[in-house]
Amino acid sequence: MISYELIKSVTARLYDASLRKIPEDTKLALRAAEARDRSDTARRTLRIMLESADAAERQQHFVCSDAGVPVYFVKLGTRAQFAGDVRRAIVDGFDELVATIQPPLLQHVTNPLTLERGYKGRDMPIVSFDVIDGADYVEIVCSPKALGSGRWAALEIFSFPSLEQIEKYIMQVVLKAGSQHCPPVVVGVGIGGTFDHAAKMAKESMLRPFGQRHPEPMVAAMEERLLKAINATGFGPMGTGGDSTAMAVHVEYSSGHGFTPVAVCFNCWINRRARARIYNDGRVEYGE
Amino acid sequence: MSAVRELALPLSETDVRSLRCGDLVYLTGELVITAGMPTMQRVLDHIAAGKPLPIELRHATLLHFGGYSVEAAGKLQVVYMNPTTSTRFNAMMPTVIRSQQLRAVGGKGGLDAACAQAMRETGCVYLSFPGGAATLYSNAIREVVAVEWRDLILHYRLVKLRVERLGPGTVGIDAAGNSLYDGLQAAAEARLPDILAQLAADRAAAPGGGAGGKAGA
Repeated sequence: MISYELIKSVTARLYDASLRKIPEDTKLALRAAEARDRSDTARRTLRIMLESADAAERQQHFVCSDAGVPVYFVKLGTRAQFAGDVRRAIVDGFDELVATIQPPLLQHVTNPLTLERGYKGRDMPIVSFDVIDGADYVEIVCSPKALGSGRWAALEIFSFPSLEQIEKYIMQVVLKAGSQHCPPVVVGVGIGGTFDHAAKMAKESMLRPFGQRHPEPMVAAMEERLLKAINATGFGPMGTGGDSTAMAVHVEYSSGHGFTPVAVCFNCWINRRARARIYNDGRVEYGE
Repeated sequence: MSAVRELALPLSETDVRSLRCGDLVYLTGELVITAGMPTMQRVLDHIAAGKPLPIELRHATLLHFGGYSVEAAGKLQVVYMNPTTSTRFNAMMPTVIRSQQLRAVGGKGGLDAACAQAMRETGCVYLSFPGGAATLYSNAIREVVAVEWRDLILHYRLVKLRVERLGPGTVGIDAAGNSLYDGLQAAAEARLPDILAQLAADRAAAPGGGAGGKAGA
């Protein structure tokens, strides 16, 4: 049985971990970019980023002062058994984290109608649920979202678009974000389905570990050429110029009707992303 | 080749005018930070009303940084700080830069052409600090000199700090009016047709390649 207490502590721990350590694959991508970029400023900026990430990990400090708002993707195994409330555990876990985390968090949870800020708010943490048939575990991904890169996501709905139109739109969103989203970023793209589903696909593909190409060669090729295209824009690390604007492009698609939503979102260079699987026997596997 | 500069605060106009886009700087001395739009609005209101600001900004270095501060045993401490998005302040900064004759502003993401113009007139630079370098920058804090407007949430307050070798920051806009940001945006727009042509060529060569549907099919 998966207890309320366990979900509460694991979800709080995922949030905490995502603030202090950037994923290993992301460090490798930043190092690779640093070795490759032709711009002095870019290479220096990438070195500062790597130094900062190392310092945060060593000092168990935050990589970024903007801890974002808590966002969780939860996938419930149909054979997973729960001994308590799941959503309540996540909400209580975040409350407890706010009360105990060192250093403390700033108030980022914002009421969109009054702009008042605090630690709590309607629908916080933001949790989406899905189901994994046959699994005896629950899988949880935590990806806190802050203004810096959250601000630049976009979605547009086309009617029977060509690949050319889709890719052009993605490039337009990239150009609009320009220097602003703390590059080098991870770009998530969701194509098809419905309005809500495309956004979710974009977000979930963004959280895919690096090196996992889309299984369909046609989509994998699209990811590869878009990465090359985005890095040809020249915005570079922190948008002060260079060849390293994106570390990865992940594309996901689903069938839909003839109207085709295309959603594009970004994760900044610190690529906050932490995951765990909790099994019925209480075992927890952590990942990035 | 851009230079690496150690700069003492307050900056002189001569220092500032000698900096060029791409130069790397470390700052030592006193500067002021805030991450709040309501804060900058309050600065503007004070300027408009001719009221003195609680922290002097004349010829100051004012950074768009947010920080977590605590008061323990009567002593103020900033536990961490980090740059925030400067472009949010685009509409407000020209007045602040001109009226306070700011020598340096900074944060991440740059400022627009109207700000760059004000900076050119007064002799002011924009410094870009990587978002997500909270630990490095927090390690540079030596003393919290003053915290004002405590009715605002922590990272919105006006905070004066003494720092030692805060950096490195990159000169993103210099006092001659050059901006890394404007140039890059324009260059990316100009490159877009070539980038799209390359995407088309890559599509044609890819598995299932040109197999995209035809628009409006």
